[in-house]
Amino acid sequence: MDAPLDGTSSRRGAVRAPQSLVAGLGLIGLGVFGVWASSDLDYGSLRAIGPGLMPFWLSIGVGICGLALAIAGFTHDGAPLQSFSVRGPVVITLAVLAFAITIRPFVLGGITTPGLGLIVAGPLAIVIAGYAGTEARFLELLTLALFLTAGCMLLFGDLLNLPIPIFPTAVVQAMTGVLPARTLLRIAAGVMALAGLGLLLVQRRSGRREPVDVARHSLTT
Amino acid sequence: MPDLLANLGLGFSVALGLQNIALCFLGCLVGTLIGVLPGVGPIATIAMLLPITFGLDPVGALIMLAGIYYGAQYGGSTTAILVNIPGEATSVVTTLDGHQMARQGRAGIALGTAAIASFFAGTVATVLIAALGAPLTKLALIFGPAEYFALMVMGLAFAVVLAHGSVLKAVAMILVGVLFAAVGTDLETGQERMTFGFSFLTDGVDFSVLAMGLFGIAEILRNLDQTETRDVVRERIGRLLPGLADIKQAAPATLRGTAIGAILGILPGNGAVLGPFAAYTIEKKIAKDPRRFGRGAIEGVAGPESANNAGAQTAFIPLLTLGIPPNAVMALMVGAMTIHGIVPGPGVMTKNPNLFWGMIASMWIGNLMLLIINLPLVGVWVRLLKVPYRLMFPAILMFCSVGIYSINSLPTDVMLIGFFGLMGYLLIKFGFEPAPLLLGFVLGKLMEEYLRRSLTLSRGDPMVFLERPVSAVLFIIAFAILAAALLPSLRKGRDEVFTEA
Repeated sequence: MDAPLDGTSSRRGAVRAPQSLVAGLGLIGLGVFGVWASSDLDYGSLRAIGPGLMPFWLSIGVGICGLALAIAGFTHDGAPLQSFSVRGPVVITLAVLAFAITIRPFVLGGITTPGLGLIVAGPLAIVIAGYAGTEARFLELLTLALFLTAGCMLLFGDLLNLPIPIFPTAVVQAMTGVLPARTLLRIAAGVMALAGLGLLLVQRRSGRREPVDVARHSLTT
Repeated sequence: MPDLLANLGLGFSVALGLQNIALCFLGCLVGTLIGVLPGVGPIATIAMLLPITFGLDPVGALIMLAGIYYGAQYGGSTTAILVNIPGEATSVVTTLDGHQMARQGRAGIALGTAAIASFFAGTVATVLIAALGAPLTKLALIFGPAEYFALMVMGLAFAVVLAHGSVLKAVAMILVGVLFAAVGTDLETGQERMTFGFSFLTDGVDFSVLAMGLFGIAEILRNLDQTETRDVVRERIGRLLPGLADIKQAAPATLRGTAIGAILGILPGNGAVLGPFAAYTIEKKIAKDPRRFGRGAIEGVAGPESANNAGAQTAFIPLLTLGIPPNAVMALMVGAMTIHGIVPGPGVMTKNPNLFWGMIASMWIGNLMLLIINLPLVGVWVRLLKVPYRLMFPAILMFCSVGIYSINSLPTDVMLIGFFGLMGYLLIKFGFEPAPLLLGFVLGKLMEEYLRRSLTLSRGDPMVFLERPVSAVLFIIAFAILAAALLPSLRKGRDEVFTEA
C-alpha cells in the first residue's frame, strides 16, 4: 500500500533512504528539545529520583534512536519521502480550531471569542471539515451538519445531560425565565432536523447517482 | 471449580440485568457498526463515547465499552468478506480467503463460518478469563514495584517486537510515548515538568486526547490522501450455515486459531493484533495443499477469525488481574474505570466482584448477541458501506470534538486533538506506527512511579531488579525477545508473518 520499499529508482547521491534520514533528524530534534525542556528539573539520585531524570534519559534515548535512523539513511536503501497533501491537514486543523474557539468563550491573547455553543460550533466544524476533501458540496454538508448537530444536542444535552454549552451565551441570557433550557433545546433540534429534511428534499430533486468513495484498507486499531 | 461456577453465576446475574443487557446490546451494535465502517476504529470510538458512560454505573459502562471493542473485531470481518475492505486491522487477513469465498458465491458460508468461529473463540476466551482471573490475581499480590516495573518493560519489549516495520522506529515511538507521559506535574515532588508555563499542560496530556488525535484525526488525514472510488456491489450472500464438509474443515482451524489468539492476547504489548496473522500463517503451513489459500480456503477464514476474537477478549486478563493495559483500547478502559473510582488491578476482583464477573459474563452474552444480530443484519451493514467518506469524516471530526470537549470541558483539549492529529499524520508519513507510542504513554506514568518506588525501597540499588527472581526473569525475557527481534533471520520471519496480507 505504500510506495515501493526499495528506493532504487529514486536513489540520489549519498542519501539512500530519505525517509529514515528525515525521520531520524526529526527524532534528534525532539530529543534535543526534550533535554532542553527538562534541563531545569532536578535529576535527584538513584535513591531518590528527581523529576528530571526520566525525561532527560528518555530524550537521550529518543535522540540515539534518531541518530541511528539518520545514519541508516546513508547506509541502507529505504523508502523515499512520501508525498504530503496540504489541503487536508490545513482544513481539518481549521475545523478543529473553529470548534474549539466557538464552543465556549475562549480567551486568546486579550481577545475573547463569543461562546456560541454546540448549535454553531458543530455545523461550523462539519462544513469547514468537509472542504478538506476535493468533492465537497455545500448543501450536502449543511444537511449533514443540521442532522448531526440536532442529534448531538439531543444526545449530549438532553439525554445525557452533559455540561456542554448548546446555545450562544447571549441567547441563554435572553431566554432565562422565558423558556426552560430543555424545551428550547428540543425546539431548536426539531427545527434543525426539519430544515435538514427540507434541504434533503431539495437535493433529491436535483439528485444524481455517482460511484461512492470509500476509505481504503485502513489499519485502524 | 465450584468457586468458579459460583462466581460465574454471580456474573450472569449481574450481566443479565435489564439495563446491562441493553447496554451490552448497544455496545455490540455500535461496535459492529464501527467495525464495518473503515476509517473509524475502536480506539477513537471508545474515546468518543467515554463521556456517554459518565452517567452510567461502572458495571454498565464497562460492559458497553467492552461490547464496542469485541463487536468491532466482529464487524470488521463482514466487510472484509463482502467487499474486500477490512474494517479493522485484525481482519486484514480475512480478506484473503473470505473475499475469495464470496466471489465463488459462498459469501454466506464465509460469514457464517466467521461468526461461528468467533463465537466459539469468544466462549473459550470467556472461560479462560474466568479460570485465570483468580490465580493471576493471587500472583499479582506478591508483585512488588520492582516486578511491576519489570512486567511493563517486558510488555513494551513485546510491543516493539509485535509492531509492524522497523524495530528502531518502534523503540523510538515507545520512548516518545513515555516521554509524553512525563509532561505535567510530577506526582512526587509536585514540580511542573515540560509544561512551558501552559496551564493546560499542568495535569499532563489526557490519554483520550492523545488517542483521539493519533487515531481519530490522523486517520481522517491519512484517508483523505488515499480514498479511492469503488462501487459497492452487493454480492449474493446465499446460505449462511456451513455444511458438514465445511465444518469438518473449519473446526480444527478454529481450535488452533482460538489457542493462538488467546495466548497472544494475554501478552502485554498488544499481542491481539498479531493473532490473526499468526493463525493464517500456521494454517497455510500445515495445510496439505497450501495453494488453496488465497483461493477461498475456509480454514483461512475460520483460523484468523477465531484468533482475532479470542485475542480481543483475553487482552482483558492483564488489565483485570494486574492492572496493566496491554493495548490502547484497554488503556481507555482504565480511563473509564478511574472515572468511576475503580483502580484497575488485583483489587478489582475482591473489591468489585460484581464488576469483574459481570463483565466476564457479559462478554459471553455479547458474543451470543453478535452471532444473532450479525447474520440477519448483514444487508444493513453492507448498505452502510455506501455512505461516502466525504460525509463520514466531517461527522467523525465533529463527534471527536464534542466527545473530547465533554470529558473535561476544555477547549484546549479540542485544539490538542488537532495537534496530535497532525503529529499522527506526520508519523504515518514517515513510516512510524502510532500504536507503540500510545502504549508507551499509557505505561509511562505507571513505569516511572514503580521505578522510583522500587529504587527508594532498595535505597538506590539498581540491582534490585535482578535480585528479585520474578523481576529478573521478566527482564531476561524482555531482553531476549528484543535481541531476537534484532536478529536478521527472526526479523525476516516476523516480516513474513505481517506481509502475508
